[in-house]
Amino acid sequence: MSKILQSLPMTVVAGVVLTIIMVFATNQLENMNQSDAEKAASELMKKMN
Amino acid sequence: MEDFILFLVRYLHVLCGVMWIGILWYFNFVQIPSMPKIPDDQKPAISKVIAPEALFWFRWGAAGTVLFGLILAHLNGYLGDALLLKRPDIGFGMWFGLIMAFNVWFVIWPAQKIALGLVEADADAKPAAGRRAMLFSRTNTLLSIPMLFSMISAQNPTGF
Repeated sequence: MSKILQSLPMTVVAGVVLTIIMVFATNQLENMNQSDAEKAASELMKKMN
Repeated sequence: MEDFILFLVRYLHVLCGVMWIGILWYFNFVQIPSMPKIPDDQKPAISKVIAPEALFWFRWGAAGTVLFGLILAHLNGYLGDALLLKRPDIGFGMWFGLIMAFNVWFVIWPAQKIALGLVEADADAKPAAGRRAMLFSRTNTLLSIPMLFSMISAQNPTGF
């Protein structure tokens, strides 16, 4: 890790890679949260019926 | 009135953030790479005058950014959700920013005080402190890239 940080270009590349990982993680978490909301809506519908 | 307060807090958050990240990038993109090219007799101009002044605005810029950022998130009602990553679009950026601010106040600033001779320390401690400050400053430069992506994309109506 310190080898990457000693080089400014490598640091920037690592920052871009981390950004891409973050984008995928964000999408995954948003999908999970959306599923939870859908489950809650489904439960509510059952109770109403 | 509420809209104006939201705008004002966001404006102060961005102003402090520009101060903080601007100086962080100055250190990493300009000052650190230029130091080996500066003659030894001129180096005190950087280490005794410019760096201590820059570090003052750097650390208080970081504090202001976090303070106004947390107030803004609270006023908008997503502080808890963001910190728990129930709002990951802004949550990742908040966590990266918090880690970066912690590094500024509790690693970089104490190490720079030793490296620049602002506090008394053994001669052996200075190079180690300088290296520690540089590596954590680089860590913050790395984290600033996804942090800014997260902050900007969360404000973009269509995300990224």
